Amino acid sequence: MRKKILAATCIAVIIFAMMYQARSQVTLTIGIFAGSNWNVPQGETYAIINEVRKNFEAENPGVRVKYVSGIKKEDYSEWLAEKFIAGSEPDVFFVLAEDFNLYASIGALMNLENLIAADESFSSDVYYTSALNFGKYENISYALPCESNLTFMFVNKTLLAKENIALPKNNWTWKDFSEICRKVTRDTDGDGIVDQFGCYDYSWQQAAISNGVKFFRDDGKTSYFADSRMEEAIKFLMELRGLNKGFEVSPKDFDVGRVAFRPFTFAHYRTYKPYPWKIKKYSSFEWDCVKMPAGSSGGNISAMDSLLVAISSRTRNKDLAWALLKKICYDKTTQQLILKKSQALPVRRDVITSVEAQEIFSWDSNETAAIATIDISSAMDEAIMPFKFKNYNSAMLYADTEIHKIITGIVPLNNALNKLQKEINAQLQH
Amino acid sequence: MLKVGTDMQKFLNVKEMHRLLYGYNGFVIFTLMAFMCLTQERIYQAMTARAFLESAGAVPPASDVIFFTTTVAFVLFILVGYFYRKSQRRHVRYCLFAAEIIICMFLMRFLNLSYDGIVLLVVADLMYKYEGHRQEYTLLVAMICLYFIANYNMAIFQTKIISFEAYASYYNADAKAVILAIKNTFYSLNIVCFVFYLVLLVKNKHEEKERIRLLNEKLEEANQRLRAYAIEVEQMAETRERNRLAREIHDTLGHALTGIAAGLDACIMTLEIAPEVTKQQLNKIRDAAKKGITDVRRSVKKLRPDDLERLPFQQALMEMTRNYSESSGMEITFDIFSWSDNLRQDQEDVIYRVLQESITNAKRHGHATKVKITIGGNEKYLLIVIADNGEGCDEVKQGFGLKHMRERLELLHGTIHYWSDEGFIVEAMIPLNREVDNDKSFDS
Repeated sequence: MRKKILAATCIAVIIFAMMYQARSQVTLTIGIFAGSNWNVPQGETYAIINEVRKNFEAENPGVRVKYVSGIKKEDYSEWLAEKFIAGSEPDVFFVLAEDFNLYASIGALMNLENLIAADESFSSDVYYTSALNFGKYENISYALPCESNLTFMFVNKTLLAKENIALPKNNWTWKDFSEICRKVTRDTDGDGIVDQFGCYDYSWQQAAISNGVKFFRDDGKTSYFADSRMEEAIKFLMELRGLNKGFEVSPKDFDVGRVAFRPFTFAHYRTYKPYPWKIKKYSSFEWDCVKMPAGSSGGNISAMDSLLVAISSRTRNKDLAWALLKKICYDKTTQQLILKKSQALPVRRDVITSVEAQEIFSWDSNETAAIATIDISSAMDEAIMPFKFKNYNSAMLYADTEIHKIITGIVPLNNALNKLQKEINAQLQH
Repeated sequence: MLKVGTDMQKFLNVKEMHRLLYGYNGFVIFTLMAFMCLTQERIYQAMTARAFLESAGAVPPASDVIFFTTTVAFVLFILVGYFYRKSQRRHVRYCLFAAEIIICMFLMRFLNLSYDGIVLLVVADLMYKYEGHRQEYTLLVAMICLYFIANYNMAIFQTKIISFEAYASYYNADAKAVILAIKNTFYSLNIVCFVFYLVLLVKNKHEEKERIRLLNEKLEEANQRLRAYAIEVEQMAETRERNRLAREIHDTLGHALTGIAAGLDACIMTLEIAPEVTKQQLNKIRDAAKKGITDVRRSVKKLRPDDLERLPFQQALMEMTRNYSESSGMEITFDIFSWSDNLRQDQEDVIYRVLQESITNAKRHGHATKVKITIGGNEKYLLIVIADNGEGCDEVKQGFGLKHMRERLELLHGTIHYWSDEGFIVEAMIPLNREVDNDKSFDS
């Protein structure tokens, strides 16, 4: 009996020792995908995260941070899901916008509200509202934004100069937009085929957003497609389409400089404006970007996408994970690093409004870049947050198909939006 | 003996069925758990994790966690169930049963509520141990409560539960149908086992009751035989006593009287001839008569109860009633208001016998549990009331006992009355300080 007790004590001591050993060397894992979230080429994929890791490990002795490298963005969603099923998900991980709702709804993400409330060194005021709210599900924060991206209108300066049209101002409207489009849309070589166009890839969503349309109620149970402003947006798109006289515009047309406007994200601008990408793409013309044209009932606004980072609800090191999350999404040094190294925008207001930021946004000092005149900070303030409730993707896909039919004239506009709204509401409420 | 043997065998069957129920549930739980773990592994390998998470609506625990927790919980469940069935102390049993319910809830949670047959296992355990009067109601209430708990469980964990269908949906439609059918069969089979177990249990309990009833009957029979034997023994004792009495009379009184008769014959003969001798002879005869009287007295003394010889009268009464009370379990109380100190021996004897007879009657005929004896009176008479709480009777049949009492009392010019009220009441009255007929008493 005594021997048994002795043996049991020995085993207990060994287990405790092992647990202590395990405790003293904590390993945090980060889930990250290779490349940019914004579909643009990126050079040093892990530069920022390596820096974060180095700083974090220096600040927290005995803590190791590791990540699995080489997971492509298109594989990341599946990779993360597999990790969750195997029970070995990372402590802190990047969440793709389309995955956020799923993980938040199944309780995979840690509720950050208590951590935020308890942490005096943290204030959510530094974030732009749209970016912060992007990490909320049913009004509870489950993730923090790490970088954001805005949509701007690319302008082919060479083409406009050729047509003697002045570069549009940042407060331009649909009227200015359609006027320029009308002017530039023509057959330049006289073969009877229209080969110069006003715009490419200007979506009904972008038009509607800049006309002040809100597609859904916040809870995602009702849609507002029958809004009169929505009708205005559709009519405007039909008008633009009418200018092309039945010819379809291809991305190649834009690349070779035969299209005046194309909406692009800020990440695109950051990627293709400086060397070396500047040579690779759009080298045959000068370009710049301006804010999206304002609709008659809206403003020069666009949607702001954000890349989110969350903590697993099953993490064993809650406090360290929170510290790491803050290191990525809140730490000023990291945010400045994002400003320098990433193509997207940092999420901290003070970093965006810093002098360095202003310098970076207008590095073409020899030319008067239009973007330099854009107040990025106010644009981020104005930007609306994309919806991402559970059935958002399917509802939007359906709406896109139907609206495409209206714009291309397959379905008459008359009552089509009312019908669409009813159908989508029915889908949402199921 | 043979019957008890088969009963034991049947009881064993209930136990075996109980074990089978446990074994079966263990098998089902293990199978379902293995199915979930394997499916998770397959999902992991087939790169459909994202789609699975979408349909599952919750993050499943890792396979090894599921395996470990479920196994540990089930082993705990078995242990707690075992101790619950073995436990003798009520409070411990309640605690263990509560623990069993909690483990059951956790087990269901680990299995994603895909199998609630384990609730029946809890009910089986409850039924196994419960032996109340309102067994059916208790069962009903327990079942309702347990199912309520199960559903409540479901409500709490609603958001975190992955339905079994989500796992089954991973496979193609045909396989899914088979899997769901197997799962339903598991559940139905469990219910069949449970019902069979209940039937066995109820049957077993019924048989046990029947056995107890039979044993009781046998006991009653034995009791009756014993009673008859006691009466027989009593009669034999009476006969023996009578013989002894006859012998005693023959030896003492007969001897003395024979002597006296012979002496008197001689005296008749010698009276005329020698009056002096006759006188002497008569003196001798008187002595013999006196000696006879002494002998008779001694004999009568021998007939008196031992207590009366040994103890003061009042104490003797107490002793007698206490002894009777102890042997019969009847509660006997005394209320003595007044007492006459100079009772004659014959009066004492009568009082003693009256009390003894009344108490015996109260037990034997009235099946009384309480007897109250009240003694009172004044310098002229003594009143004794013996009241019991027995059945009494509407029409009192004067038996041997009552008749004897009356006769004894009449010797002392006393009276006796008896009637039924709340039980049976005997009231005896004995006059004091009154000259009794000396002929009828041996007292001088």
